[in-house]
Amino acid sequence: MGIQEKLSTSRRGFLKLGAAVTAVGTAITSTRLVAMEQELGGADYSPVTGEKRKAVPYTCMACNIEDGGIAMVENGRIVKLEGNMKHPNTRGKLCAKGNSGFLHVYDPDRIMTPLKRVGKRGEGKWKRISYDEATSLLAEKLREVIERARAEENHEILNEIVMKWGRNRTGGAVKRFMHALGSNSMVNHTNICESSKKVGLEPSWGPDIESCDWANTKYILNFGSNILEAAYFMNPNAQRLVDGVVGNRAKIVTFDPRLSNSAGYSHEWHAPYPGTDAAIVLAMANVIMNEGLYDAEFVRDWTNVTAEQLIAHLKPFTPEFAEKESGVSADDIRRIAREFATTKPATTFSYRGPVKHLWGAYQEAAIHMLNVITGNVEKKGGYCLPRGMGWPQPEPVPPAGPALSAIAKPPLYPLASHAVSTNAPYMVMRGEAKVSVWMSYYDNPLYSYPSSHVWRAFLGDESLVPFFVSFSCYMSETTEMADLIIPDVTYLERHDPESMPSGLYPCLSIRQPVIQPLGGTQEFRKTLIDVAHKIDPDGSLGIRKYFAFDSVEDWMKQHFDNIPGLKEEGGYERLKKDGVWPVYGKVDKETAKLVDDNGNEIKAEYGLYTTEIPDEEMLGTEISEEGTIIRDGQPIGVRINGKNYVGFGTPSRKIELFKEEWRTFGFNPLPTYKRLPSRDKKPEELVLTTYKVNVHTQSRTASLKYLAEMYHKNPAWMNPQRAAKLGINDGDLVRITSPLGYIVTRAHLTEGIHPEVVAISTACGHSAYGRLATLKQRDPAARWAQGNDPDIANNVWWDDRGVHPNPIIRLSVDPIGGSQGWYDTVVKVTPAQAGDKYGDTDVSIEQAMKDYDEMLRYAYTGDLHRAAHQEVDTDWNNLPEPKLTGH
Amino acid sequence: MPANDFKIPDDGGAAVSGPDSPVTEMSRTDLQARAGLYALLARCLESEMDADLLHHFRGTLKPTIDELGLDLGEDVMNARAEDVLENLAEEFTALFVAPGGVLPYRSVFETGRLFQSQADQAEAAYKAAGFAFRNVYSGEFSDHVAVMLAFVGRLFEKQLAFDEADNASAASACAIQRETFLREQLGPWVVGWSRRAQGCALHPFYRTILELTEQVVWEDISACSDQATLKRLALSNRRRLMRLAADPDFRKASGL
Repeated sequence: MGIQEKLSTSRRGFLKLGAAVTAVGTAITSTRLVAMEQELGGADYSPVTGEKRKAVPYTCMACNIEDGGIAMVENGRIVKLEGNMKHPNTRGKLCAKGNSGFLHVYDPDRIMTPLKRVGKRGEGKWKRISYDEATSLLAEKLREVIERARAEENHEILNEIVMKWGRNRTGGAVKRFMHALGSNSMVNHTNICESSKKVGLEPSWGPDIESCDWANTKYILNFGSNILEAAYFMNPNAQRLVDGVVGNRAKIVTFDPRLSNSAGYSHEWHAPYPGTDAAIVLAMANVIMNEGLYDAEFVRDWTNVTAEQLIAHLKPFTPEFAEKESGVSADDIRRIAREFATTKPATTFSYRGPVKHLWGAYQEAAIHMLNVITGNVEKKGGYCLPRGMGWPQPEPVPPAGPALSAIAKPPLYPLASHAVSTNAPYMVMRGEAKVSVWMSYYDNPLYSYPSSHVWRAFLGDESLVPFFVSFSCYMSETTEMADLIIPDVTYLERHDPESMPSGLYPCLSIRQPVIQPLGGTQEFRKTLIDVAHKIDPDGSLGIRKYFAFDSVEDWMKQHFDNIPGLKEEGGYERLKKDGVWPVYGKVDKETAKLVDDNGNEIKAEYGLYTTEIPDEEMLGTEISEEGTIIRDGQPIGVRINGKNYVGFGTPSRKIELFKEEWRTFGFNPLPTYKRLPSRDKKPEELVLTTYKVNVHTQSRTASLKYLAEMYHKNPAWMNPQRAAKLGINDGDLVRITSPLGYIVTRAHLTEGIHPEVVAISTACGHSAYGRLATLKQRDPAARWAQGNDPDIANNVWWDDRGVHPNPIIRLSVDPIGGSQGWYDTVVKVTPAQAGDKYGDTDVSIEQAMKDYDEMLRYAYTGDLHRAAHQEVDTDWNNLPEPKLTGH
Repeated sequence: MPANDFKIPDDGGAAVSGPDSPVTEMSRTDLQARAGLYALLARCLESEMDADLLHHFRGTLKPTIDELGLDLGEDVMNARAEDVLENLAEEFTALFVAPGGVLPYRSVFETGRLFQSQADQAEAAYKAAGFAFRNVYSGEFSDHVAVMLAFVGRLFEKQLAFDEADNASAASACAIQRETFLREQLGPWVVGWSRRAQGCALHPFYRTILELTEQVVWEDISACSDQATLKRLALSNRRRLMRLAADPDFRKASGL
């Protein structure tokens, strides 16, 4: 009987054979036909036509981490975003925010044409105008100020032109524009972000952030940072943290009043009382120094203090003291200190938790010191300097404006190198600064600032802000108040130079339009060129020459075409091709490490500070008694044991644990701990803290469907035991009251929060920012979305947009670092009262102004500052006079 | 005929009897009138009222408007022109331009996003008939309702011109283009969008223009579509945004 006869006898015969094959598993199959898949990213295909999609590299700007991305473009539309495999620090991955970014581009609530206010300010009545009309109007307003300054021969008038930004990734464009106009009134957002971290670090070792070698470490001490969800370098850090914990079996210990996902991922979670991190850290340092666990050689050679000085300074900060302050047991503090000091390599990481307090800079300086005394600085697996690259500005570069600006850098905060933006409205309202034209770029203080209602009052007052222009492409709470909106484009349609030190491989990257600006919109950079040309059409004001670019691309070429190394490889065109430079290697499929063509890991460099200065560069230098190598009056290195090293970016080129400048203003020159006013709250009160979540930025992503669906409401986290005492059950409506007023929200009871804390996330509770953020629009029949996409129209299943806590958060500025003390507000939480409705918010402007006055008492000239720093050996009766420094 | 006589039947259009032939026959007078009507609707929805258009409404068009009983608003016919133009510009921007408005794009109506493939389809139809879309302000796309209405008007004009030149086949081709465009590109959304926008319009001028748009488009689609098509289109236009029934106990307050 032939085979055909055997099998064709019955259908069962076929099935038996098939079943037999199946039993073998995948061993019997074709190896030629495979699923159409991408080779670890970088290529993508239309599922409908099979056509390969156009892949355009870009730099993400969903948040500030600037990951490398690839946009997949089909028929001129962005259909997908993914990580750029050539980016050495992102390694082909984007977070949820990054993946969702293209929804911004096609958002029907995007502002697509300039709008001019026709009703009262903030009333929401607009008339559309063209970009030409809009830029002419702005140019006219700016020129009026410039001409008035000239007519009155008063340079200070130029500072009435103010630019306030939230996220400025323009690579110098904003500064060029403002300086070209002659104004120094640039107000950033950094003090609501992490400025006290920066100020805790910069005078210590130069840079404003650390780059931990997570992947190679063995021990991580995490203070108040939600690394896996939101902290600085979130995506790259999260990847390498997992590499370290899983691949290298590193231990991670987290201190955070809230059980974040990062805390949950840790081997140990300790919940200290908010703002007591420094007490814990100093106690650990105390243990390490007194038990001889410190790196004596590193402390001796590379710091500006002696071990004896440190031991004496740390004497009061015992583990028992720390336990009393923080609630973390002295035994745990001792044990962890010993583990940290004896496990090599090790590193700390910290972010907003410790520093967003009054005196936050002390906390960061203390955490930094732990790495220094244990000798983990710039070691493989240790606490490393950030690696970044710069780019030149096109010539000519405008000089700073002729008059120093108070609003740019309030004189009462001389050490706050990243300014004090929260104070801007108060300063104007108090007559300490004047505004003629207020420009807002990528900024939403009406939502994202503490006591946000103050900004509404400020920007809504035409006597204080006569003309207000917003460059936003979204109708944010702030943009709603503008007189003129000149819409920018989204980050997928614009040009910027970038270099973010998000890992151990320094690189340049580029933001370029992956599609042309949608519908004829124009990018901010082009708007700046147009406005500059219109202010100064014939060049007679000396402004036009700084914007003599043929195009935006021409501007970018001038950044990139002359960088050594990149120039030889093609300059700007080279960057456009890969999106990043240099390309170190490729990502290994198995280990996710960067490898060369032979599969060998590309090693990162360590010990950057020990780079020796070549003999020829030592010519013409002087060496101070302390060993600092000085050329032309500037420190360029340090001589240690007869060798000339580049050292650190400090005046002594060593790590300066002792900060002389701090002492000058009456602050403790060594890392210390100050008990916060919130530590002395009444027993019935709670400390209000806020936090970011993994799928949202603070204020700009609530309009994105993918993200809004995942996270859209932000109940107040409370500890069940504490809630029970207050008569509050899970899901109850509660009233949270600070001295500013109250909000009404819901309680979420969880053991994952310190009993003395109530925590509310950011990102929710918008009153503007599009239909998904607010769950309202003009069309009541289509409350959720106008479109009929099944996912949009039928799947907006929530009707809760959350409640934003910022209106009840008090102004609280770190007098050293200038940071807003987000976690210093003391509140009462009570069951909602009769008539209270979810979302009710009632706050006082008068109390906010009182808070401003109270806050100034902590500034270096204030009485509370002096009272809190009795231990400081300084000439208290002759503190430096406040002076203007903002430019 | 009063605009209110044109209504989408509540049964989804099943009762409407459309012609069997795919091409409607119209007199030259009808063609001319339709071309003018579409041009007017397009102009009103394309950009803000200006002094010229207001002048026409108060002059040449006024007797007809009065005869039809169209309510364009007391101020449009009688108030100071500068005030009318300012008010209508604000209303136009709020309705059709600014965030939160009822954006007049097929892409937005059907997908919730700007500039999707619907814009390509519109552009292709324009190109096939020898037209091209050119934006005046930023943020304008080829699937804008006014551009689509203008296109139908231009096809009426072309058909009339061919008809007057005794070029029957070219005129017929124009009619087929027009009817196809009406069914395939205006049909699925303009009537529903117009209704939605009427509900949001605060000024009677736009309410009336939108109502007129709804009725005119539906009448022309009805005239060139079979019952099955009409029913499909009516349903498509009567889309209702649905929400899944929420169970308050399903999720904890945290949403976690």
